[in-house]
Amino acid sequence: MATLNASDWDRNKAGILLQRAGFGGTPREVDSLAALSPAEAADFLLGPARLVSPEPPSFLEESGMEEALKAERAKMDSLSDSAKADARREVAQYLRANQGRQMTELRGWWLKQMAEPARATREKLTLFLHGHFATSFEKVRSPYLLYQQNSLFREKGYGMWSDLVLGVAQDPAMLIYLDGAKSRAEAPNENFARELFELFTLGEGNYTEKDIQESARAFTGWGIGADKGKKGGLQRGSYPSFKNMPKWHDTGSKTIFGATGNFDGSDVVRLTLAQAAAPRWITQKLWKFYAGWPAPEPLLQELVREWQSLKGEIRPFLIAMWTNPNFYDPVRAADRVKSPAEWLVGLCRQIGRPLPASALSANILTQLGQNLFEPPNVKGWDGGIAWINTSSISRRYEYGSWLVEGTQGLQKLSSLNMAKMAGESGLMKMSLPEISPEGMVTSHGAKDMDPFEKRAALEKMKEAVALSPAPVTDIANSEQRQSPEKLLATLSSRFLSGETIPEDLRARFQQAAGEKLPFTDAAVRKMILAIVQSPLYQVT
Amino acid sequence: MNDYELKTRREFLRTGLLGGSLCWTLPAFLSRTMESLHAQADGALIQGVTGRDGNILVVLQLAGGNDGLNTVIPIGNDEYRKARPTLGLPDPSILRIDPQTGLHPSLSGLASTYQDGHLAIVQGVGYPNPNRSHFRSTEIWATGVDSDKSSTTGWIGRYFDNACSGCDASVGIAMASQLPQSFTASTPKGVLYQGGGGAKKKTSKKKGIVAVDGDSSMMAMEDEEAGGEAGGSIGMLNGPGNLGQLSALDFLERTEMDAKVSQQEIAKASAKAKNSVPYPGSRLGQNFAMVSRLIAGGMPTRIYYLSLGGFDTHTQQAGAHERLLKDMGDSVAAFLADLKAQGNLGRVTLMTFSEFGRRVKENASGGTDHGAAAPLFLAGGGVKPGLLGQMPSLAPQDLWDGDVKYNTDFRSVYATILEKHLGVKSEPILRKSFPLLPAYG
Repeated sequence: MATLNASDWDRNKAGILLQRAGFGGTPREVDSLAALSPAEAADFLLGPARLVSPEPPSFLEESGMEEALKAERAKMDSLSDSAKADARREVAQYLRANQGRQMTELRGWWLKQMAEPARATREKLTLFLHGHFATSFEKVRSPYLLYQQNSLFREKGYGMWSDLVLGVAQDPAMLIYLDGAKSRAEAPNENFARELFELFTLGEGNYTEKDIQESARAFTGWGIGADKGKKGGLQRGSYPSFKNMPKWHDTGSKTIFGATGNFDGSDVVRLTLAQAAAPRWITQKLWKFYAGWPAPEPLLQELVREWQSLKGEIRPFLIAMWTNPNFYDPVRAADRVKSPAEWLVGLCRQIGRPLPASALSANILTQLGQNLFEPPNVKGWDGGIAWINTSSISRRYEYGSWLVEGTQGLQKLSSLNMAKMAGESGLMKMSLPEISPEGMVTSHGAKDMDPFEKRAALEKMKEAVALSPAPVTDIANSEQRQSPEKLLATLSSRFLSGETIPEDLRARFQQAAGEKLPFTDAAVRKMILAIVQSPLYQVT
Repeated sequence: MNDYELKTRREFLRTGLLGGSLCWTLPAFLSRTMESLHAQADGALIQGVTGRDGNILVVLQLAGGNDGLNTVIPIGNDEYRKARPTLGLPDPSILRIDPQTGLHPSLSGLASTYQDGHLAIVQGVGYPNPNRSHFRSTEIWATGVDSDKSSTTGWIGRYFDNACSGCDASVGIAMASQLPQSFTASTPKGVLYQGGGGAKKKTSKKKGIVAVDGDSSMMAMEDEEAGGEAGGSIGMLNGPGNLGQLSALDFLERTEMDAKVSQQEIAKASAKAKNSVPYPGSRLGQNFAMVSRLIAGGMPTRIYYLSLGGFDTHTQQAGAHERLLKDMGDSVAAFLADLKAQGNLGRVTLMTFSEFGRRVKENASGGTDHGAAAPLFLAGGGVKPGLLGQMPSLAPQDLWDGDVKYNTDFRSVYATILEKHLGVKSEPILRKSFPLLPAYG
């Protein structure tokens, strides 16, 4: 495949790569990438092929709740029917609130991994895979299983595509999400087989309804169960894992893509990935995700050949993509729209701010249209210009103002539901409802909190939202503050690397800082804000 | 976000901002977009469909594939009993429309709409060579082209292009997080309104950090907890946007301006009006309440788009489907009653649709798999009440791969609405001529 010459590699391209391969970074990081060769830069960003596992989120360590729940449930048995229903509802409400809190922690935890410079590239791929194999908390209802799936993407993302697809086919969250866990020989469920072909591996038009039906039969028996339990299926409170249940498997002969045999799920994955449409589908999706526009036919064929010669190994394929000259096509330089996660993590990195608290960050992403672990449907996020609409662009500008200028922007944050966040961020006290033998239920959920407690939690939330202006002292030195031209050159190298600024926009950015020289911190922030609140900042 | 009082894009243009004094929120870089808008604004002076009292279409998408057979149900039908041993609704519980046909018991709201003479039920709606993929079939409904063809524009987008080329982006409002694919036009149109903004919630007038009242958002928190949608893997179903002739950057610039203009328009219109009936507290109910206020407030919007997800009921359908239908029926009934009280019922037609119906035979997980044709509802003051089309035969020899066959092309429904309600020629929009249904008096 065509490769960039070392002589064509410059700071501009290094900036584009840093943004697209990961979540952007500082001018210093761009400089050090520019000093390498293109392939070295890509390799450096990807980091070691073997995963250095991050510290897991702390909710995984929570214990004792299951025991406590069991005790409460045992007490329920002695209650009258109506009291039992009340108690059940209370417990269910507590569990939902607790899951909500764990999901918030999981989202914040993942964003933090994205913001780690040494992890950013692998996390970007993990984000791609999350959107590609979209699975939602809305149906799975288990923070633990979603974490497991997220870890699968992280661990296997650099490896062979076939291992990854097989891993997903056996992933408990996916088995729940697309009903595989309920599929049995006597009633195969077609949901997973259909989406495997249509969305994950081949694309519409490359399989028949018959292929779906026969593959659904082959997948029967792949389910979930608790390792300890004798019974198949999922028991309450246990962490389920993949389980092959031969009793549920359809052992009859199947014909899939013209081959006939007593196939199982692994066979379906093997037969599917051998289809001519398979490498075209995944290479096009990867190219589009990273480059921002679909590869036209000759380029796509080139990508497919590269993919085949690498036997579907993803890490080296990413290097090949990122060192292809087309990846830096100046005509398409402004065609890739940043996803909300990229926007938020990137902005915080560029202005040198830590990410906002988990509940806030998660909420911001939801408002911008990318609620992590809850993609809109099994197709994931459409991405590209679909990120941008009248509502999301206003919100990008509002949150941008808050992150750059701090508390001044606060009144504009009305779209955040503070009380909900206060609950999710653990500021509100929540504990298991207590069920007395008389049938009284005393709950300490957010609903029953006394007004004083509620107010206190909201006050704390306000404190969490309160933000000082972004520290810009180190972003521009005294020399760079001497003229609007110099300041804009400094800031555009940090915030708009790789983008050409049109003349009218240049004038607008320069005017934003005012006329008083040398520019103060406040004036520097004004210019940063003008950049962040511009269409150009939304693309990369 | 700024002090400008912009009412509509045309007013915005007439005030001569191009080259005038610009504050930072209306930046100079918009000029390219502005020039193209200037060209359009001339045309806008003569186009006639955008008056504040023109007719309105409200589209309600039931995303995921609504089980039509358990929505509009055949009464005393042996094939139905055989195919639906557990999911079949017992005859006495069905809300009768005529001796052979009735509505799901949770659709009492729609049944009373029918009694009031404002509901038509179109049966057996679909298209030739049905596709069972959610995404492809949604796309077919959105683009309105034959199932073996594709189109880069949606049928509503082509209505915008044909009938309202010069009007504001807010000629179409989607209560969603993404513009529906059917809105895709050669000249982008349509704005999003998010966040329910229900009648129950009061927003604090106080200036300060928290703009949301603590107590009322507490209620929102409980609402959301109670939510939990069924049919998980298909929630919202939206197609990707289309750029038309714009680059991504032009599109961004344009969207930025649409946001500024329409936000003020919407805030003004919704502040003017009140709901006169209670709505369900669900997101759908609150979205309908908002649409009603926007209509009463005089928005020049012609198309409103709402969506309810969760109809992909592969497993344990009964309870989930019942809740979804109840939410839909009660919300629609409240909306129509509110419009009646406002005196706007005659201007509005509501159309429901889903990308497909479901398999006639229930599956072993207490659910149903993807199907083909299904009924849809038309409601409003101008709609002639009754049953249109035929209830498709459920006899096994009449099925296509286990699914009912369509007898009414969905584009006949579109054509009827375009011609009889929105008052435009349907052929340029649908690219073909389709027979009209006797849905209007």
